[in-house]
Amino acid sequence: MARTWKKGLPHLFLLLYLVVILFPFLFVIFSSVKTDNNAIALNPFGLPKKLAFDNYAEAWVKAKISTYFFNSLYISILSSVASILFGAMFAFAVTRMRHGRWGAALFGLILVGMLIPNNALMLPIYTLVRKLHILDTHLALIIPYVANAIPFTVIILAAFMRSLPSEIEEAAVMDGLRSGGIFARMIVPLTVPAMVTVFIVNFLGNWNEFLLANYFLSNDDLRTLPVGMVQFRDQYQMNYAQMSAGIVFSVVPVIVIYAVLQEKIIEGVTAGSVKG
Amino acid sequence: MKKSMVLLLTLFIAAATLLSACGSSNGNNNGKNSAAPSNASNDSASAEPSESAVDTSPFELTLRHTQVGADKQKRLAILNDVVKKVEADVPGLTIKLDGVESDVNRKEKLRGEMAAGNPPDIFDLFGSPDSQVYAKEGMLLNLSPILEELGLTDSFSSLEPFTYEDNVYGLPIGGSGEGFFYNKAYFEEKGLKVPATWAELEDLLGKIKADGKVPMAAASKAGWVPLMLANHLWARYAGPDVTQKFVSGEAKWSDPNVVKAFAKYQEWEDKGYFKKGELGFEYAEYTTQFTSGEAVLMYDGTWKSSVFKEGQSGANMIGKVGFFNLPPVDGGVGDQTALMRDVNNGYGFSAAVEKDPRKLQAVKLFIKYMYNEEMQIRGLVEDGVLPSMKLSEDVLKESITDDLMKEIVNVLNASQSSFPAFDSLVQGDVTTEISNIQIQKLIGKQTTPEQMGKELQAVQEEANAESE
Amino acid sequence: MNKALRSPAVFLLFTLPALILFVMFFIYPIFSSLYYSFTSWNGVSTHVKWIGLDNYSKALEQKRFWVSVKNNGWFIVFSIFIQVPLIVLFSLLISHVKKLKGLYKTTVFLPSIMSTAVIGILWGFIYEPDIGLLNQILGTFGIKPVYWLSDERYAMLSILITNAWQWTGFYIVMVLAAILSIPGELEEAAAIDGASAFQRATQIVLPLIRPIISVVIMLSIAGAMKAADIVLVMTKGGPAGSTEVMATYMIKYAITNFKYGYGNTIAVLIFIFTVVVTVLYQLLVARRNERIEY
Repeated sequence: MARTWKKGLPHLFLLLYLVVILFPFLFVIFSSVKTDNNAIALNPFGLPKKLAFDNYAEAWVKAKISTYFFNSLYISILSSVASILFGAMFAFAVTRMRHGRWGAALFGLILVGMLIPNNALMLPIYTLVRKLHILDTHLALIIPYVANAIPFTVIILAAFMRSLPSEIEEAAVMDGLRSGGIFARMIVPLTVPAMVTVFIVNFLGNWNEFLLANYFLSNDDLRTLPVGMVQFRDQYQMNYAQMSAGIVFSVVPVIVIYAVLQEKIIEGVTAGSVKG
Repeated sequence: MKKSMVLLLTLFIAAATLLSACGSSNGNNNGKNSAAPSNASNDSASAEPSESAVDTSPFELTLRHTQVGADKQKRLAILNDVVKKVEADVPGLTIKLDGVESDVNRKEKLRGEMAAGNPPDIFDLFGSPDSQVYAKEGMLLNLSPILEELGLTDSFSSLEPFTYEDNVYGLPIGGSGEGFFYNKAYFEEKGLKVPATWAELEDLLGKIKADGKVPMAAASKAGWVPLMLANHLWARYAGPDVTQKFVSGEAKWSDPNVVKAFAKYQEWEDKGYFKKGELGFEYAEYTTQFTSGEAVLMYDGTWKSSVFKEGQSGANMIGKVGFFNLPPVDGGVGDQTALMRDVNNGYGFSAAVEKDPRKLQAVKLFIKYMYNEEMQIRGLVEDGVLPSMKLSEDVLKESITDDLMKEIVNVLNASQSSFPAFDSLVQGDVTTEISNIQIQKLIGKQTTPEQMGKELQAVQEEANAESE
Repeated sequence: MNKALRSPAVFLLFTLPALILFVMFFIYPIFSSLYYSFTSWNGVSTHVKWIGLDNYSKALEQKRFWVSVKNNGWFIVFSIFIQVPLIVLFSLLISHVKKLKGLYKTTVFLPSIMSTAVIGILWGFIYEPDIGLLNQILGTFGIKPVYWLSDERYAMLSILITNAWQWTGFYIVMVLAAILSIPGELEEAAAIDGASAFQRATQIVLPLIRPIISVVIMLSIAGAMKAADIVLVMTKGGPAGSTEVMATYMIKYAITNFKYGYGNTIAVLIFIFTVVVTVLYQLLVARRNERIEY
């Protein structure tokens, strides 16, 4: 008896935790198929007898989920890829090129970037973006996102590239490759695993970013999903059933991606933050 | 890991994706439908026969409006009609509409864009103090010559809030007043009557409370909502012109009469006359409390009357809503019938428009089609917006058929004077202090009326000193 | 050796794009902030007036600024004293169980990949006084509605709970990875010596995962100093400014109040405070453990 008790107790705690995590999502799903606030109040914990799917149609139109979703998707992917490209070039230069002191100095400079709380720099970045005349275009997010991710990207990729044996260059020289060739044909393919990690971390960071997206874009068609959702909430707050449908729309794609890539995502995000 | 994934999936993803699949197929269609009108108008514009001399290459005009959300559909429809007319008249023109919630546009978006030097071509603009600040920096298009050209110079009842150094920089779209909306059906059922004196008002509130209803709707997450009533209270107790005097230094927020108003507000809070949990509610919820019948009174602007029309969120209350002014306070200062009335909101235009003759032409047409008797009447009839232009009495009488609107107009006519809303008079810092901090503290019982007056006065004095 | 790898021109070519972006978005903003923090610029005007340290003395005198500093402090306190013990407990439990390990890990991690904005909306619904989940549950026990986000007493706590709900699982997975990388023989040997599960956890596992806990705390501090979006989405700093954090205070002043110079002063102060807290933690706590590699 004592044994099963001992075995069961941890599960009891853990399952309790699972309930705390999952129940809010269930509550939202249940609420999203109810007709109105009243229906939620009368029967908060279960499914209604008659499922009201209109909320989904209404939310899709009013919250413009599709527009926001694709804006977020393309901004996040483009920025993540660009920061990996620039970061990898930089990491390659400071780790594989023979410019010891310069390499170390530049690398050190970029490291400092990790310590800077980037929210605090929002105002000058705002003025900068406006001087570049890209305010209210997607570039107003893409360029800062790329820049923001550079320190982290460089650190991870540099650590990885350092661990590659130096024979690579020697072999490459034999083949007559120049720097660009060595980078593109030898180093990049070998660094792909680290790049995947970095991509996931950067992508999630950009996908979820709220502050810049909220203040740097004012055109409704350009908005990203987090900002669009908050705006939807502020305008239709009185209708929680509809809002729940909106939440489901915005959460499901993430869950689906997570379901497919979960191991890679967990590995990437945690490894990333430890090393960072 | 596989097993766990299956488990997690069955827990909720399956259900959720299924739902989203159902929803999205419907939604897609609707999305296309809603996109259609703008395309159609686009086509009609380009199909317009164009003279060979005229440049018909496509160009775009951005228009920032604040007609977003369920309650502003009528206003959006009026705007859309004007936009279509302008597009039809200017070859190659597409007007890009961009809707932003009013308060967000006023306090964040437009300010940021002004700072950046790239406001939209046409935008929702508040008169005082916003338009003066922007005009001073040369950001706004001077409209005086255009008004002259269109013969509109004397057509508005007041352009003062939009005037800077004798030039006009914005045009009010309509006027508004503020007072109590009340649930007529409930009043009849309980044999209540519209309060004519302060004692009757207090008595009324007490009766509603005793009946288990919420006497007054409240949604105070944004400070300006409770401040509408609070503003009226301090205008009653300390005089309709007291707010100007805060700025000029002739009066203080800590004066006993002003504090009395704060104290009254807090007293009503203490008695539970407002909807509970109000500090967590957005303005959108204000109306819901009233239309659902939960709250019997709602202090709001006359613009809210558009909600009580067919197809709007308050359609269930058509004919059951009335409007009354705050009764006179015993011992109050100044005109005791005064109410908040202004023509402070409308459209402004970017100064950059002047450099592009085609844009300027479009702006002129926009003004022509937006500001005329027909549109003013439409705004009044369809949307409950009081006219900002001078209209003849007969036309007015003819077009007001809606009972609520009649009642509103009667209330406004019965008042002998009016005052502008406090936030068009005091400095930005003072507005921030009272709406983000002080009024919410008063509601949350984290301050006393005296303390509130003292702290506001400190901020006021600092702001007064800075502006000198 | 390859000449190309020594060519300064090529080196420059490879480092330049990242370097330009870095200088534009990290170095320049710092100096720009510093400069404007000494001015009374309103963000629109063409005149920039130098006012020395006035903004700084004004900020340090403002009660509201200190309220926001205190709230950033709450984020730190809450994560160190509430979240960290929970993180350790749950990662030990997950490492201990044989079945369902994957399910636990996958599920607890889930909230951390979601947008803070959406989580703020979701929890706003949970905290809704009339129909929200929390009050409905409390209601079944006969507890009267609590006004979570609109009552000054609970608003900050409500935000902290939401924040913890989002991030605890993320740290659990990190700590769990560290625990699972401890060689099994260590624990087995201890078990043979008769150590109970509890003893093994406290005497073998805990000391070995101290470095990673230190990392978790560092990350929590960094996160706490950056906190802004969760507050903006859930309360906008209200009621009555009681949940304002430094970053939201800065935004409110700089953008909504035409006080760009003062906003930058706050930015500089956030920067200084972050450095101070980080250095303090390093000196007081982390140094005593072996230095770790973050």
